[in-house]
Amino acid sequence: MLMEARKYLRLIKDYFLLNLSAAMEYRASFIIQVLGMALNNAFFLFFWWIVFNNTGNIGNYSFRHVMTIWAIASSAFGAAFILFGNTRNISNLIVQGELDVYLLQPKNVLINVICSRSSAASWGDLLYGFIVFFAVYGFNPGKLMLFTLFVVSGALFITSMLIIAHSFTFRMGNSSNIANAVLEFLISFSIYPEDIFKGYIKFIIYSVLPAGFITFFPLRIMNEFKPVMLLALLLINTAYFITAFIIFYRGLKKYESGNLITTRM
Amino acid sequence: MSVSNLLKVSDTRRVSPTRKGITPCGVTKIKVASVGFFYIQGSDYLNIITVEHLNKIFKTKVKKEGFRQSVRSILRPQYKTVKAVSDIGFSVQKGEMLAFIGPNGAGKSTTIKMLTGILYPTSGTIDVLGMNPVNDRMKLSFRIGSVFGQKSQLWFHLPPGDSFKLLGSIFEIPARELRKRISFLRELFEIEDLMDIPVRKLSLGQRIRCEIAGSLLHRPDIIFLDEPTIGLDVVVKQKIRDLVKRLNREEDVTIFLTSHDVGDIEQLCKRAIIINNGEIVLDESIKKIKYNYLKKKVIDVKYSENIDLKLDIPSMTIVKAKDYSAKIEVDISSGTIEEAVDKLMRVGSVMDINISDQPLEEIISDIYQGLCNP
Repeated sequence: MLMEARKYLRLIKDYFLLNLSAAMEYRASFIIQVLGMALNNAFFLFFWWIVFNNTGNIGNYSFRHVMTIWAIASSAFGAAFILFGNTRNISNLIVQGELDVYLLQPKNVLINVICSRSSAASWGDLLYGFIVFFAVYGFNPGKLMLFTLFVVSGALFITSMLIIAHSFTFRMGNSSNIANAVLEFLISFSIYPEDIFKGYIKFIIYSVLPAGFITFFPLRIMNEFKPVMLLALLLINTAYFITAFIIFYRGLKKYESGNLITTRM
Repeated sequence: MSVSNLLKVSDTRRVSPTRKGITPCGVTKIKVASVGFFYIQGSDYLNIITVEHLNKIFKTKVKKEGFRQSVRSILRPQYKTVKAVSDIGFSVQKGEMLAFIGPNGAGKSTTIKMLTGILYPTSGTIDVLGMNPVNDRMKLSFRIGSVFGQKSQLWFHLPPGDSFKLLGSIFEIPARELRKRISFLRELFEIEDLMDIPVRKLSLGQRIRCEIAGSLLHRPDIIFLDEPTIGLDVVVKQKIRDLVKRLNREEDVTIFLTSHDVGDIEQLCKRAIIINNGEIVLDESIKKIKYNYLKKKVIDVKYSENIDLKLDIPSMTIVKAKDYSAKIEVDISSGTIEEAVDKLMRVGSVMDINISDQPLEEIISDIYQGLCNP
C-alpha cells in the first residue's frame, strides 16, 4: 500500500516536471499567464478594500477575513489546476475517445488522467494566495502549515467536484457545461463573506456544491483552532474524493472510446 | 484439463517455451522456472490470445433531422442498439504475426480495444497472456504494447526523449534498464537525431517510428498495431514494415495488426482474420486465401500494331485497352486461361504477354463484399 502510494507520488512528480518543461517551451506565454492571473486577483482584492473602507464589516467578516478566504481559494484553485490540470478536460477525453491512451498504461486511470496536464496560468493563482497569506499573517509557521493544508484540501474538494460533474459525460454525452457551471459556482461561493448566504444556499454550499468546505470552514479553524474541526474537514474531504472515484469508475464501464485523430498536448 | 487452462493458473512469465519447442512428432517441450521441463502433446499452450463468443453492443441515441426532432429527443430520447462485435472467437499463437482486417466499421478497433482492456465486452470471454483484460487491465498493460495510428502517446510540445522517460516511470522501468532500452530502440528505429526535437516538429513518419519505439520500452510480449502506416509514404511504410519484422524475429514479439494497406498484410503476416459487420467471415493463412479465393487472372498483352479489341467470351473482361496494349481480367471459374490466351493471340501479332494473379487487395475487397466463395 505504502509502496503504491510512493509510486503514485513519483508519477505525480514526474508529470509535474514534464508539464513544467512543456510550459517552459513557451517562456513568454508562461510568464504573461502567471503575472496576468496574479494581477487579475489583485484587482478583486482592491475592489474589496474599497468596499470595506466604505461599509465597515460585512456580517462577522472583516477585510482581513475576506483576504484569508481569497488567499485559500486562490491557492486551492491554483494547486488543483497545477497538480490535476487535466480534470477540466475529462469530458473532452471521454467524448473524443482519448481515455484509450490512459487505459493502456499500468496506472490508475483517474490519477493518470488528472495529473497528466498542468495549467501554467494557475501558478499565478497559487503564488498570489501565499503572498496574500503572508500579507495578512506575516511569517507564522503554525498558520502557514494550516493554510497549506487547507490549500491541499480545497484543491481536492474542487478536483472531486469536477471529476463528479465530468463523469456524467459517460451517461449523458457531454457534461462539460455542467462541470463549468460547477466550477463557476465553487469559485463564486467561496470568495464572498459566508454571512451573506442564508437558508437553502447555506445548505447547498455545505453539501452538493461544497464551496463552504473550501474556504469558510477552514477560516473558522484558522480563527479558532479545534482539532475536531480539522479532523472533520479531512474526513469530509476524503469522503468527497472517494465518491468522485466511485462515480468515475462506474461511468468508465460505459466508456465507448472513439477513433478521432488526436495528439497529447 | 487442457494445457492452456493448466498454464493460465500459473504466472505466464515463468513459463517460457524453449526456442524450438515443438518436435516433429508434435510433442512440445516447455520449461517452467524452478520446476523443470514438461513434454506436452500438441501446441495448444502456445495460444497467448484466446477469444470465445465475444460480443459488444453499443447503445446509440438516434435523432431525426430538424429542430422539432431535436426538442423531442431531449424530452423523449430514442436509442438503438448497434452490435459492433457479434459472437466472434479466435486464437493467436506466441510469435505469430496476425492481420485482423475488415472494411471501415467492421469491428476491428472495437475488438482490439476489448483485447487491451479499453472497452468492456458485453459478453464472451477473452484471455490474453493468461489474463482477463477487464479484471487485470493494469497487470496486462505491463505485458502488451499498442500503437494506434490516429492516437499519440507522446507529448506534442516535448521531444520524444522526455516522453520516453515519463513512459519509463509509468511502466516502472528501473532507470538503468530504461537507459539501455532507449539506447537500443534509438538505434533500431534510427531516431537518434530526433530525440531532442519537439514532437510537433517531426514528420508523420518520424513520429510513428517514435510512437512504436515508445510502445516497446517495457518489452511487451504482444504489440497491437492499429493502422500503423496510415498516411505514410511508400518509403516510410517499408521502413516500418522492416522494423516490425525485425522485432518479431529478434524479440519474438507477437504482432496483432489491423491495416487497410494490403502491403502491410502481405509482407508481414502469414495469417489473416477478416471481420465484417462484427462477424468473422474468414480465418485463414494468406497463402490459402490466395489459393481458395483466387477467381481471376490478369493478362497484360502488348501487340505490334494498333488493335481494336472486342471480346465475345463471357469469362473475359477488358479492364483497359489503348492503342497497342490491353489489360484483360479472366474469370477462371467460368473460363480457362488457355481459351483466353488463344483468343488474344488471334486478335493480332503479340509482342509480349504477362499473366498474373488477381491482386490480394481485390481478393480481400471481394471477400468484404461477399462476392467470393471458396
